[in-house]
Amino acid sequence: MRRRSSIRVVVATCLVAWAVGGCGAEKASQGGTPAADKPRIALIMKSLANEFFATMEAGARDHQQAHADEYDLLAEGIKDELDVNRQVQLVEQMIGQRVDAIVIAPADSKALVPVCKKAMDAGITVVNIDNKFDDAVLQDKGVRIPFVGPDNRKGARAVAEHLAGRLRPGDNVAIIEGVPSAYNAIQRKLGFEDAMNAAGMVIATSQSAGWEMAKADKVVSAMITEAPDLKAVLCANDSMALGAVSALRAAGRLGDVMVVGFDNISAVQELLKKEEILATADQHADQLAVFGIEYALEMIRSKIAPADKETPVDLITAEAMQ
Amino acid sequence: MNRRRTYSRLLDYAGLTLVLVALVSVFGLTTEHFLTLATFRTIANSIPDAVIIAVGMTFVLIIAGIDLSVGAVLALSSAVLGVCLVDAGLPLAIAIAACLVVGLACGTLNGLLVIGWGLPSFIVTLGMMEAARGGAYLVTRSRTQYVGAAIERVSDANLFGLSFPFLLALAVVVSGQIILSGTVFGRHMFAVGANEETARLSGIAVRRTKLAVFVISGLLAALASVIHCSRLTAADPNAGIGYELQAIAAVVIGGTSLMGGRGSVVNSFFGVLIIAVLESGLVQVGAQEPIKRLVTGLVIVVAVVADYYRHRLRSPKT
Repeated sequence: MRRRSSIRVVVATCLVAWAVGGCGAEKASQGGTPAADKPRIALIMKSLANEFFATMEAGARDHQQAHADEYDLLAEGIKDELDVNRQVQLVEQMIGQRVDAIVIAPADSKALVPVCKKAMDAGITVVNIDNKFDDAVLQDKGVRIPFVGPDNRKGARAVAEHLAGRLRPGDNVAIIEGVPSAYNAIQRKLGFEDAMNAAGMVIATSQSAGWEMAKADKVVSAMITEAPDLKAVLCANDSMALGAVSALRAAGRLGDVMVVGFDNISAVQELLKKEEILATADQHADQLAVFGIEYALEMIRSKIAPADKETPVDLITAEAMQ
Repeated sequence: MNRRRTYSRLLDYAGLTLVLVALVSVFGLTTEHFLTLATFRTIANSIPDAVIIAVGMTFVLIIAGIDLSVGAVLALSSAVLGVCLVDAGLPLAIAIAACLVVGLACGTLNGLLVIGWGLPSFIVTLGMMEAARGGAYLVTRSRTQYVGAAIERVSDANLFGLSFPFLLALAVVVSGQIILSGTVFGRHMFAVGANEETARLSGIAVRRTKLAVFVISGLLAALASVIHCSRLTAADPNAGIGYELQAIAAVVIGGTSLMGGRGSVVNSFFGVLIIAVLESGLVQVGAQEPIKRLVTGLVIVVAVVADYYRHRLRSPKT
């Protein structure tokens, strides 16, 4: 028994020596080349349990594998979309690990600003993706953090404009909002409103279903009872669009009330084909983190001044799926 | 004695019905279309999963336990159901069986942990809540599974305009109440909840009773997941978040004690109805999210306070 454990110690020591020696050797051999210090990029996301962020993470990992010689990736997420504290801790950990850049999808557009400023003060490049930091807070803290991401308002407007083509001016529509405090939820709502108002539709009611399918089902069920003349339901994400479709199906109104969503998740593909969902927007979730990482690399390489960068949002329509 | 009990139960029902009537009249007066058949059909068709979960939760609270895992178990079993139908292409009956087995297994594990080490059910089911949620994400790879027509027929089936899920929920309520007030197992549940030690000394199989209750709760969560999944025609790994608290609220509104030893399944059904009417009515009024949550919170507290007085008025005489 004792002998066994001493063998273990020897093996472990050898392994450690080999690892340390190996690393040292690697460093020495690469010392002269410009690729000596591969930048280490930390990707900090919201809930990885969310399909959207899971896709985002997978896209980032694929990109890193294809560009393994250019940078290293540390991807982290939080358990719950709203766990702001945990995300602050993650940023602090990354500062402690002395990464070269942090690409962050902040769980809160205000509360994460101070810790990101701390990171920048420590010489770390910070790039903001997905949920844009609040301009007023950035200004107040005197920092400029570039936002690389889609224009949610524009995307929502495109979806709603497509829907407007199927409606007549004066028709009643309803909006199902995301979490009322979220920046992208607000932007999507504004985009829907822009297009509906411009086309002369009447927004009969606009309520939150907190991004959730089951909640959207309940909210739309009640809405359709109160406003039987609704012609369309505009949902700020696809999960809620699925809930809206189930509510309309249960009420036997699926044929005459149109539904649009946002995000183009895999679960709505069938419904787009059946025209039960008329349109959605694809903001290329798998590319969103990649855009941010590429921009961070560019900033590290060329020391360019940070500026916002818009990434594409595509309109996906039922017609195009046929 | 028996007559007095029947009388007091009727009083209970009357109290809750009064709350319901009050809510319905408030919404009826403030909205245009609340007092229509459509509203009540909508509510009836949207509550079956909540009702079924509340029945299991009533049993758990009666034995002075708590089951925080029901929402996550619902998500996990519906995830299994969805994957069986979509990825494996299994027939509906087999997929439903698999789904129920998952719920049964989660409930059994909860029960065994509680009785095996005498652990508080709060912490055991909190652990199960995390584990089952993680399982749901794993099974679905964090993606909502669109099931489609394969499951629609469960919800589409109906009798006299009442959907099959609603009738199923009613059946669960009725059998739950019969078990509770008409069987030995029901009496044992009350005894265990009122005083575990006394129950043990009087020869009741406390551990077996507790295990059975957690198994039932898990199984009912899985049954609710079948309905949830068929209603949405999709298996969502994020399904059922917060359902445990909603179920506890409904059950407590119905007068079941968090301290155990007291409760009724039919009253829990009323509790679910009150919350559902409130939810539906607030949407129809067009209330914004913060107001909705504020009002819902207030109604829960007011209903429980009212219940407290109802019992105080009665208890000196009994």
